Amino acid sequence: MSEDAPRIAILSIEGTNCDQELERAFQLLGAAPEVVHLKQFEGRDVNPSQRRRLHDFSALMVPGGFSAGDYVRAGAVLGARVKSVLGKDLADFARAGHLVGGICNGFQVLVEMGLLPGRTGGALGSPQAVLNTNDSAHFECRPTFCRWEGGNFRPLAGQVAKGTVFYIPSAHGEGKLMLSGEKGNSLPELERNGQVLFRWVDPEGQVAGYPWNPNGTEGNVAGITNPEGNVFGLMPHPERSISLLQYPDYTRRGVPDGPGDGWKFLEAVVRYARRSGY
Amino acid sequence: MRAARPVVESRARGRGRAAPGPVVGPFVHFRGASAQELLRTSRSLSLGFSPSELSRLQGYFQKEGRDPTQVELAGIAQSWSEHCSYKSSRPFLVKHFGSLPPDPRVLARGDAGVMVLNDELAYALRIESHNHPSAVEPYGGAATGIGGILRDVLAMGAKPVALADPLFFGPLDLPLSRLPGGVKHPQYLFANVIAGIRDYGNRVGVPTVAGSITFDPAYTVNPLVNVGCVGVLPRRNLRPNRATAAGQELVLAGGLTGKDGLGGVAFASRELSSKSEKEDRGAVQLGNAIMKEPLIHAVLEAVEAGLVAGMKDLGGGGLASASGELAHAGGLGSEVHLDRVPLRETGMSPWEIWISESQERMLMAVESSNVKELLAIFAKHDVPATVVGRSVRGERERLYFHGELVADLELAFRVDPPPASRSLAAPPPPRHEPSPPFGRDGTEVVERLLLHSDVVSREPVIRVYDHEVQGRTVGKPLVGTLSTPSHADAAVLQVDPPGYLGLAVAVGSQPFLCATDPRRGGQGVVEEAARNLYAVGARPDAFTNCLNFGNPEDPRVLGDFNAVVAGMAEAARDLGMAVPSGNVSFYNGGLGAAIPPTPVVMATGIVPDVRRRVSSDLKEAGNSLYLVGPTDPGLGGSLYVRVFGGHATRSSPYQGSLTREVGERLLSLGARDQLRSCHDISEGGLAVALPEMAFGGALGFDVDLALEQGIEAWQMLIAEGGSRFVVEVRPEDQEAFERGLTGMPWIRLGSVTRGRGVFRRGERVFASVDLKVLYDRWRGGLGSREKRAHRRPRPRGRA
Repeated sequence: MSEDAPRIAILSIEGTNCDQELERAFQLLGAAPEVVHLKQFEGRDVNPSQRRRLHDFSALMVPGGFSAGDYVRAGAVLGARVKSVLGKDLADFARAGHLVGGICNGFQVLVEMGLLPGRTGGALGSPQAVLNTNDSAHFECRPTFCRWEGGNFRPLAGQVAKGTVFYIPSAHGEGKLMLSGEKGNSLPELERNGQVLFRWVDPEGQVAGYPWNPNGTEGNVAGITNPEGNVFGLMPHPERSISLLQYPDYTRRGVPDGPGDGWKFLEAVVRYARRSGY
Repeated sequence: MRAARPVVESRARGRGRAAPGPVVGPFVHFRGASAQELLRTSRSLSLGFSPSELSRLQGYFQKEGRDPTQVELAGIAQSWSEHCSYKSSRPFLVKHFGSLPPDPRVLARGDAGVMVLNDELAYALRIESHNHPSAVEPYGGAATGIGGILRDVLAMGAKPVALADPLFFGPLDLPLSRLPGGVKHPQYLFANVIAGIRDYGNRVGVPTVAGSITFDPAYTVNPLVNVGCVGVLPRRNLRPNRATAAGQELVLAGGLTGKDGLGGVAFASRELSSKSEKEDRGAVQLGNAIMKEPLIHAVLEAVEAGLVAGMKDLGGGGLASASGELAHAGGLGSEVHLDRVPLRETGMSPWEIWISESQERMLMAVESSNVKELLAIFAKHDVPATVVGRSVRGERERLYFHGELVADLELAFRVDPPPASRSLAAPPPPRHEPSPPFGRDGTEVVERLLLHSDVVSREPVIRVYDHEVQGRTVGKPLVGTLSTPSHADAAVLQVDPPGYLGLAVAVGSQPFLCATDPRRGGQGVVEEAARNLYAVGARPDAFTNCLNFGNPEDPRVLGDFNAVVAGMAEAARDLGMAVPSGNVSFYNGGLGAAIPPTPVVMATGIVPDVRRRVSSDLKEAGNSLYLVGPTDPGLGGSLYVRVFGGHATRSSPYQGSLTREVGERLLSLGARDQLRSCHDISEGGLAVALPEMAFGGALGFDVDLALEQGIEAWQMLIAEGGSRFVVEVRPEDQEAFERGLTGMPWIRLGSVTRGRGVFRRGERVFASVDLKVLYDRWRGGLGSREKRAHRRPRPRGRA
């Protein structure tokens, strides 16, 4: 690990069960990730050496899983707890341009905190959207593809050609993004603002509906950013396609080894975190 | 040594030190009671003792010079139950599995078996049943089944990395008029068991990578829900399931203790009845995956920090079993303060606290000097952890409740019952009747076998389980093109990415072969699992077994059990597989219904390099298809006989050693990348195996069935026996492939095409199916919502 390895905090509480593979992915990418329990930020029940401050990190990732069990609306409990523990720190962190990302359940958490789709200026607030139950009414673990829509997501903007398709698999029961429709918070406005990060597409890169859109989100939206492009959420799991070996059909490919599309996505995240110099 | 006693100490201090004094009542009248009275007592307290056990108990307490307390009897009843003690099965397990040669690959045989992976790593494996709870409360029963098996693996110090669930139900289309009173419909059981596994497994973050679903009227009254788990651990973190010295603190961690799951082991140790719903619901535990997930983190963190001397999970028999076995296995005694156990509800009696099967709990033996640091780890993860007792010198178990001694027993007596003396009847010799004449349309046979409920695509179930969490699942349960998934023979985990070492996991069962010929069935279940492993490029390493049988008091059931276990041990020896763990589930059945002998295995194999993994989907038109292994016309226990009837009871002969020879040969060819695809032949024979391969690759095939001497084309189509694989080979590799198989029986069957699935007899077409049409029917065969959703029209245009 080089000295300029960006420190990336991966937030954990009970049920954030995709933390370790995300940590492993960032390690392999040469970053300095650390799984940080919310209580380490809070300072409750931990000794001083385990205490962490958000501003010690370049980026914050909220991993997938079932935080607090998701027995109420997905992400609601962790969203509320993060808000109460990190509240202002997190708003400052995002406003300063640091990356704040949510994957799957983490996306749900950022939406619950009002960070996504987000207000200009990055303030936390009441949710403006919800990730509703899939149209199929059940959990779906399946291969999915996302197309980069050329928006303002800072790690990809200007780095990757618009229309590039990523294989990033999905596993969720509540992924149908529904916007409030209020001013500044409708699909046409998100599109205009460059806030649509990814669209679900089929292996050929065409919009195709179920099952390639596994949850039925209008407009096939698979991920969004805040207006500034530094806070992002996506439903599929890039940490599950960092290697071609994680592809379901690698025995059909000539060369099974090598980086997968999830690697390319997270590599961009690390590159940005490093460049942003925090 | 006492310096680090935690906060709970203060509560007990006021009530006096835990020094042995006279046991405080109330007592249960035992000394001088008549056999009749004792039996009545045992029944009224739901203890489940047999007359001979009662007289043994009476003798013990006469010697002690006092009557037993209820908490003593409750604890003894847990340990002496069939579920905990294996008192009916142990002699046979020892006789057969115990006779396998010592195996240096086995590092431990405890709550789970532990096997060597390499110099640094080991893996743990175990499978067990949660049948009766799932019959009365399928959602909770299945969920807590997952919870229990995770703890077994965790108790060895291993991180759970994969789950597998073999399930057995009655037919989904069973008419309500044929449903016995008090029994839940298979559709209800099926939907809720799947949902229970989904909601628990997904939440806890352990991928469900393998499984099987069998539908048969024999499982209508008593469905089987078996759950298997594999864990990985650094070898230095392997922990014993025992206290390792006197004076270690016993720390109870995890969920709070309540009145759920009282008498769960007694419920598991008798047959189901029409009243089970009403009377035994309380014996089913409540699961909480979101307590388990941080419990796993905290336990592993404590193990990694070297703070845990030994541990056990709290499963059947609750604290009574865990504490008793933890101390006894260490040659020690114990003191437990039942009032220190954190409770979920007030007003619990000592005996209820002692035997509650509340979920998500672990008991650790911890040196006093480590307790403070250990409790801090659990606090960080918001997981309750409390010192409830300690290991002591001597071999007595003393329980205290608010300072008063409420139990004082010789631990060996309490936890080790004598084997049950049961009689067994040898199974009748298998009848050797000739196979029935065929006289059917080949195409119709292929279609009906492929669309059988046991064969159709499991995709709708597989997709609701997260099979990719943790990112290790490189060999997924579904293989093929992304648009045309078909079934894999075994899942493959990349054990320690980015390293290429892989561990393959396959499950198997052969209940219908076992019903025909128990010994052959026992051999077959192991042999087929081994072929599943070879097919993906894994060398079979070990298996863990769950032996689901009927009432062991029936000599025929026990006779079947003996024969099945003998067969399994024989196959283990021939295939070089270790048997480091297992579980026995008796008393499956009730209401006059019996299940066939249903041994289930979860087998594991080593894949030296996951880049060389082989999948079953056909890869390219023009490649050659080979049949490797000899065909035998025996149809006993086959899917064909189940679907079309007839009396074919002769099964194919067992050839475990040949399977190993053929499998090893395939491994060496696979390592040279000469196998483009490979699939083992099982249920439905070639009629099922070839279409499954074609489905995954969205390709076709054209094969000749008339190439093996002495075997009719129709036998070739449907026979399941023999140590057989279908292998796809590129034209340029054919010569080297054939040379590699020198001395083995093999046939070049035909080739991969882009068209239909064609089976020929010489020049003439014997059966021909439109694979595209058949794929849609096979894929939607379970009648899922997914199928309907999948057929929705594509949305118009761009979003």
